[in-house]
Parts: sequence; C-alpha cells; structure tokens
Amino acid sequence: MDRSSNQVAITGIGAISPFGQGLPALKSGLLECRSCLKPLSIFDSGLSPAPVVAEIPELPNVDQRPGFRLSRTDHLAVLAALDAAKVAGECSDFVEAGAIIATTVAGLSEIEPGIVSDPAKYYRAGGFARATSYQPSHPADAVRVWLGLRGPCWGVSVACASGAMAIALAATMVMTGDAPIMLAGGSDALAHYTLSGFNSLRALDPDPCRPFDKNRKGLNLGEGAAVFVLETLEHARSRHARVIAVLRGWAMTNDAFHHTAPDEQGRGLADSIVSAMAMADVAADAIGYVNSHGTGTPLNDIAEVKAYETGFRARSSPVPVSSTKSFFGHCLGAAGALEAAVTIAGMQASALFPTLRLTDPIESPAVDWLMGEPRQQPIPVGMTVSAGFGGSNTSLIFELPGDSKLP
Amino acid sequence: MSADHPSITGIGTVSPFGPLRGLIGQRKTEPRTVTAWPSDGARRAFLVDPFRPADVVPGLKTRRLDRLSAWCLVATALAIEDARLDLKGEDKSRIAVVFGTGFGCLELTESFLQSMAANGYAQSDPIVFPETLTNAPAAHVARIFGLRGPNITLSHKGLSGEGALMQAASLLRTGQAELAIVLAGDTLTRTMYDWFETAAVLSGAAFDQSSVALSEKRDGFVPGESATAVVMESARRAQRRGAPVYATFRSGFAAGDPKAGVSVARQALGDSLPTDVRVVVASANGSRALDDLEGVTIREVFGAEAPVIAPKGFLGESDSVGILRLIAALSWTENNKRPLAVLLGTSTVGGCAALSFELP
Repeated sequence: MDRSSNQVAITGIGAISPFGQGLPALKSGLLECRSCLKPLSIFDSGLSPAPVVAEIPELPNVDQRPGFRLSRTDHLAVLAALDAAKVAGECSDFVEAGAIIATTVAGLSEIEPGIVSDPAKYYRAGGFARATSYQPSHPADAVRVWLGLRGPCWGVSVACASGAMAIALAATMVMTGDAPIMLAGGSDALAHYTLSGFNSLRALDPDPCRPFDKNRKGLNLGEGAAVFVLETLEHARSRHARVIAVLRGWAMTNDAFHHTAPDEQGRGLADSIVSAMAMADVAADAIGYVNSHGTGTPLNDIAEVKAYETGFRARSSPVPVSSTKSFFGHCLGAAGALEAAVTIAGMQASALFPTLRLTDPIESPAVDWLMGEPRQQPIPVGMTVSAGFGGSNTSLIFELPGDSKLP
Repeated sequence: MSADHPSITGIGTVSPFGPLRGLIGQRKTEPRTVTAWPSDGARRAFLVDPFRPADVVPGLKTRRLDRLSAWCLVATALAIEDARLDLKGEDKSRIAVVFGTGFGCLELTESFLQSMAANGYAQSDPIVFPETLTNAPAAHVARIFGLRGPNITLSHKGLSGEGALMQAASLLRTGQAELAIVLAGDTLTRTMYDWFETAAVLSGAAFDQSSVALSEKRDGFVPGESATAVVMESARRAQRRGAPVYATFRSGFAAGDPKAGVSVARQALGDSLPTDVRVVVASANGSRALDDLEGVTIREVFGAEAPVIAPKGFLGESDSVGILRLIAALSWTENNKRPLAVLLGTSTVGGCAALSFELP
C-alpha cells in the first residue's frame, strides 16, 4: 500500500460516554481522574449486589424517524455520529459517505428472555418493534438514516475488538476509494444479556476494576459510543477540513488459540502491534503511549503484558501503558473506538492518562505503568490496542498533524 | 484482468442440498416443512437437513457449538479441500477469515435467553454465552485451521454475503492478507420465522405447497438457511499453485440507498457492455418491493433481454445467501461463454450492492 501519498486523516471525532457527550467531556473527565464506576442504577440487572458499571444516566434526545425504532445502542451510535459529523464540518460529498459501526449488543438491550417461550405471542404483545433493532447492522443503519448517508454501510461485530476494527476497515475503504468519507466507530449499551453473561463467566469485578494490578479481579461493563470521520489526507486538504489526527497504521490479527482465553504469550496481539508499526513506518521507540485493552481480568492482562514484551522488544525504554477502562469500564463493541478517541485526546492534551487504582502492577521490564495523576508529556505518536473473545486483535497508530513527518 | 485480482479457487457449501464441495450443480429443491418447533399448521422453508459434521469432515468436533459455527467449519473444510490448499505449507498469519451474517448465532442466543428466563439473570449458562457472539463462527474457523490473519465478522441485512466478498477483496488488494476464507451464513430459528410471519413478509409458499415462490403474484419470500465458504486469493497466486479458478472478482460497489441499484450496477459493469454479461445474479426473492426495485436495475443497466437468474427461488431468503447465489448461478450458466457475471444484492431496508466477476 502506498503510504506516502494516501494517508488517512481523521477530521471528526464524536463521543458519548459516562463522562457526557463529546470528546471534550471525555478529555476533561480523564484529565480530572474522575472514575465513572458505580453500582448500576438505570435498570434492575437481576444480580445482587448490583454490578459496578459505568452508565450514562440520561441520553440527549434525537429526532425520531418514521418506521425506525432506535435501541439504546442505536441511540448512542447516532449521538456520537452526529457529534462527529458536526466536528468534521459540512462538505458536498458528505452524503456519499459510508458507515461502519461496530457493536456486540446491538438491540439485545431491548429484548426480554421471554421472547423464546412463544415468539409470535411476544411480538404481538409489543415486542415486534423492539426486535427490529436486533441485528448487528442496526446501529450502522441508524447512523446511515439519521445522517442521510448514501455510501456503503456495514455493521461489524468481533467482540471487544469491534470498535477498533471498524476504524481499520473504514480506513481501508477510504484508501481504496470505496467511499470518499467513512464514519466509523462502535456503540454498545449496558444490557441484561451481557451483564448476565459476564456474571456467568465470573468475569465481573464486584468493585471498581484494577487493570494490570496483581490484585485484579475482573472487569466492569460500561456503555457509550465513539465515531470517527475518516477520509484521505488529500480529500481532507481539498475541502480544507481540520485534520485532528492521522491514522498512520493499523493491523488486525487473530490468536487462533481459544474461543474465550487469549494466547498465553500474547502472540496474536504482539503480531498486530508489530504489523501496525510496520504499516505506519514508525520504530517501536516512536510510540509515546499505548492505550491498552486492559480489562482487569486475570488472563487478559497477563497475556497483554507478554504481548508488549514481544511487540516492543526493539525499544530502548519501557513503553508507557495505561488502561482507561479503569475510568469508564469495558464498553465492549464501543471500547476500541472510545479508546482510540481517548488516545487522541491524550495526544492533544500532551497527557498520559493513568490506570486508576493501579498500585501493585504486574512486573514487566517492557512496560512503564502510568499510575496516579496524568503525566504531562508530548505524545507525537500514540497507539491503541484491542482484543476480544474469539481471538481478534486490532492495533491502531495515530499521529497529530502538527507532528507529521509525512510529505 | 490483473493478476492481482482476487479469485475464487475453492467452494464449500452447507445448503438445502446438503454439504457439498465445489459447484452445487444444476439442482433445484422445494421448501420443506419445519419440524424443529411446534406451530399451528405447516410452516415451510428451504432447510438444511440435519447431519453430523464429523461424517463430512472426519475428526471435526462441534459439540456445544452453534449450528452456524458447525456449518461454517464444515463449509471451510470443504472449500480448502476444493481449492487443493495445503495449509501446512502456508503462512497462516497471512490468511484472513471474513464472515458475513445477518443474525449470527441465533440458535444459541435463544438458548442463552432461555437459560435466563428459566434460571434468572444470576444463573444463566456460562458455557453457552461465549458461543452466542456474532463472531463465534469465524473465530472457530481461525482456531481449528490455525488462521492468524485478520478475522472479521460483518453484517448488513440482505447484503451480508456481498459485504464479506468485498471486504475480503479489499484485504487482498491492500496486502493486509494473502489469502482469505470468505464465509457467509445464517440459520433459521423460531424467533426469526415468527418475526417474518408477524411482519407479513412471507409468501403463501411458506405455508401452502400449492403456492409457488417468485410467481407473478410476488406475495413474499420463503425463508432459507445455509453457510458458504470460498477460498479467495490473487489470480497470480492461484496460477502459481495450479489451483482452479471459478471466478475472479473485478469490482464491487455498495450504497446505503436501496434505490441506488442502477448506479452501483453501472459502476460494477464499468467499461464492459451488457452483452458481455453471462448472467445477472438477482437477489429477487418474491416480495414485490424488492423485486420491483431490482427489476428497474436489470432493465435499465442490462436490458430486457439480459440473462437473469434468481436463485432465491430454490435457495430461499436469508441475509447472507449472496455468495451461495453466485455459486448456484455459475452451475446454471456453464455453457454460456460470455466473460462476466454480476451479482446484485438489494435490501429494501438496507441498501444495495453490485459485484462483477470475470469467468474463466
């Protein structure tokens, strides 16, 4: 792929998170080290005690569209996409834009377990409209309808690597000319289904999570959405759009190891880190910050540390790493996109965000653990990594336009 | 045709014709009566007869997997065999899996919901939960065959199969993978069938044997289920290893607007003439809205005399049947020597796509 003449520019970032709407709200929350994790209050999970989550108490309204019912996941996606489009500004070919929106929950947040005993009866009793939002493509479709997009439109669902992968796929699409502009990101709402599922796996920390700590006990679920506006650098320049960041490289890999457990040596994730750096044409030492996947589960975090030890073997100093899931939980299909937004927010603010509650980190010579307060330091190039059930991994590398060494 | 264009070199299918390697031949079948759940009166669909995956792929373990995951594993094994691909000699970090599905692992999702309904949210089934993830079939294919390249699961209503083909082609063209297993599949379950019935989108043929799908009445569709896998690699690579080429992907275009069919079909046709087209593979399914939309595209772009096949008449409707439609069409047009096939995908609620393929 010709990397010098066809870079991917990010010209809009929209977000809705437990910190509120917009990238500025996300950035403020992180800079102020505010944790959003607390017992679930927006619905009764059926679990006792109430699980610790990061929830969004009230969603801003969006206009209704006839014949289209928004699930909570859709609603989050539309809010983030509208925000992103506003930031990116109007242009004549925005209507030709496409959308790739990732999700794992989609409309499952709207469906009650009782559907299975007699589906027809459930639909007749009012469940029909709610079930229309079930498909993983529905959030992408909602974004298409609400923004009036006419380009290609896909849903992506690869568990917890979904949001980052949507950005990688959309970047490929603008590079190959499949669409002039792509909106890409992820969205997921808190739902009975996922809370019950992760509870059944005993993966939930009953307290606010402690990623990478030796005493970590599991993850906390969160909800939110982030959507990026992607276009080639040439296209962005031709319409005089403000370039927020450049997506310099990305890579997608699979562990091919186990359906739920990561490769113990983090080989797949390390491969994605190395391949993304190769695509970006940056040395391991150039990476100023890694926003990790860092769920807080025993298996994920240790495998991830192994991946950093392999992926950054060529570095002369430990790589700064944090997990911002310690602020706003694990937002599943939205996580990769939200954490990409966090990475860029940190780069803009020259701030390395810490992992909250990390006091006794996993020992590793490869990692510079970020703890306590945000560390002020320029970040010319930042990376976010995502991994998920099914062994999927995605790494994304960003550079601020002012720091660009590109032609 | 560039030697770098992605070519289909292996086919495996699990369809109403059973599990098959290679082209499915000039076969037709009729909808069968659903027996998997109780109903008032007959419910019919193009169903896959139950089979033991290990009978098709010796040693394949599919216990506790969703039926869709099992079918994808079987289809992949058949496609790899058909492509004469020896994975032992391949760099598996360069092999991608791209999976298109409308609904994913619906059967075990229903099972997990059942466990929540029966036992409460605090006592749901931990074995089933991870198997309900939409990407489970693609993940199992990666795990069983050791494929460590990009592993993508995407969905977009009736264009899910077409989307998988397009994304796989992009990965190959941009060097993000050297070879791809392109998968598409959906299973039919009670929640889905009842949803279709409540939405009043089913043909009389779904209830009554005397009604015929795709008839002039165009009164709706008959549901189907299937899983398809194809091996995709560059034409150059296929030639180097002496693999047969079924079709070579030339271009693919998609739009979010269902009424953009004429535009995307013209883009897919490119510089070729309608007379170059061996077959237009329609996604017409017997529902008036979809068939009318696609009829306009076919008439305006390919002309009234265009050779058209509508395989949903014998495969049924499912969101991911696009790749299987293409494969079915290839079997029915082997005697025609025109160079091009155009696969149309139309979803009245999701948009449209057109993909062109050069045929050997």
